Amino acid sequence: MYALPVILLGRLHRYAIDARRKNRTWHYFAWSAVAALIATILFALGTAVVALFVYVKLWWLAGLVAGVLVLPIVGPTLVRHVLVPFGAYRLAYYLGWASRPGKDPTAYGLVAAAWALTTRPTGTGEVWITRKRDVRIPLGDAEVITTALLAASRGDLATARLLMRSVLMVVEDHPMVRELAGEWVACDAVERGAWSELADDATCARWPATPLTYFLEGVAARRIGAPNAPSARELWARWLLAPKRRITAELREAAIPPTPARPSASEAQGSDPIDTAPSERAPLPRAIAAHLAFSAGSASELSLDTTVRAWDAALSDGATHSWLARRALELDAPLGAVDRALREVAAVVTADLARIADAAQLGSPASHGPIGDALGRRLRHGRLDSLEAGFTRWLQRRHDGEDHAAIDEWREFIALQSAYLAAVTAGGTDLRRLAFPHAYSTGTSMAAWLWNARSEYALSHAISKWLLDEALAVGDAEAIELGHRNVGLYVPTRNDK
Amino acid sequence: MLEDNPFFVLGLATDASRIELEREAQKLLGMLELGFVDAKTYLTPLGPRSRTPELVRAAVAALRDPYRRLIAELWARHAPPAASVEVAAAEPEPSHNGIRRALGWGV
Repeated sequence: MYALPVILLGRLHRYAIDARRKNRTWHYFAWSAVAALIATILFALGTAVVALFVYVKLWWLAGLVAGVLVLPIVGPTLVRHVLVPFGAYRLAYYLGWASRPGKDPTAYGLVAAAWALTTRPTGTGEVWITRKRDVRIPLGDAEVITTALLAASRGDLATARLLMRSVLMVVEDHPMVRELAGEWVACDAVERGAWSELADDATCARWPATPLTYFLEGVAARRIGAPNAPSARELWARWLLAPKRRITAELREAAIPPTPARPSASEAQGSDPIDTAPSERAPLPRAIAAHLAFSAGSASELSLDTTVRAWDAALSDGATHSWLARRALELDAPLGAVDRALREVAAVVTADLARIADAAQLGSPASHGPIGDALGRRLRHGRLDSLEAGFTRWLQRRHDGEDHAAIDEWREFIALQSAYLAAVTAGGTDLRRLAFPHAYSTGTSMAAWLWNARSEYALSHAISKWLLDEALAVGDAEAIELGHRNVGLYVPTRNDK
Repeated sequence: MLEDNPFFVLGLATDASRIELEREAQKLLGMLELGFVDAKTYLTPLGPRSRTPELVRAAVAALRDPYRRLIAELWARHAPPAASVEVAAAEPEPSHNGIRRALGWGV
């Protein structure tokens, strides 16, 4: 009878936290207040009961009550403020598990351990956490986030970013774990000054927001002058709710008053004036100057387009042809030297521009001419070839007899998916239509194998979902039908327990 | 293209005669042999590059061939002078370096 109110309060506390995660309005503050109030009551009750049992010398019962009543309330706070700063990954794992934040407490324990390891990385710790991760089959969001945090602890932030973002494709959803991933993504975006990226995550509500994420999202919205940016007062409220206020005060100050709407420096594209050649120059010197500026500066779609246009104009220009013809005569060059020279210059320029455009994942240029056409062809074919090779290699993994860990299968898939998206973004709809059939046949085969032979349901579902999205983008009716059937299958997850 | 353009390697204008090319090549080879510091680098629109006896020999051999000289001239004659190429500004440093760590997210 006495346990009933405690159970009810515990449920209400969980409900308040869950409700807060779904909101980014004033409800966020309201649910936070409700959660804090219930937590205080539960904590007071718990400590009173524990004190009572200690008083009557029932130590074992005091320990039991502390574990059941107090740990779920103080566990996450202890993990964040005590165990993570000290890098105590084993304690973080067990305390995370003991705080039982949902149906699958091990998921939170695992991520808490990886989080602690990011503060003080050690080889032993990584091995310990990897072992704990690998025994959890099938793969879910907690395992991917753990792997991302392990990558971050090694300093491999690019991999960590890719893995964190890939979690959004995984159907298994542990809110407690997702909100930690969201916080990492937000902190990383702030460090890179990627305000637009962070504000976009907030607008799309991709991650459940912790108080710190919620505050950082507000800062980002104000920094880019987003229409839904919080007022100065609301930002203050978010700041008060968030931890590490001494550090975040600087961010709050920088976001008030709001700066005018503009993309951040690291995200700005196309603003660099690359065509340093004065307009009165002849086409050939102009083209060479544009090429040099393009090679030396940060490559963008605009700078590539300007350079290609300049080259197309230069190589089609009558003055260039007549200069070459005159010099060929004066030098006593062999017959056909002019055409050969033009072809050679075009080939060299195309190869160099293709190398830079490929590295920067730029799209095909709009200009049509000796350089524009050749470059477009080369970029399309090169990207298509490398994609096909990648998909073939992926399929080969199934037949090579080696049993790869599920996380390795996932990493292979997201690397390929990332290459595919980069290529089709740069190559446009034509390339997407050409690349899809190969991705579809390989992806369908792998998804079926992962589902039937490996019981990796979430992984298989993510692949099928991605293929369906791509099928819809290219309008492949057969693939859409199969995709709907595959995606409609029930996916067993640990949250079903 | 421009980096190892024979005219830049030899430090000569594109209208240099055959005799001038040969004489300059011999002079540079001698200077390199004696370890003259001035001879160890040459200027290109992409910035200074290091000069070696192999590069000098390859440059003079290229300019003896009329077709290869035509190509070399095309690039060297129309390239902007070394000083006029503006190197793009370096990427700005992240505005909040180290804040991820300060906020409790690792190394």
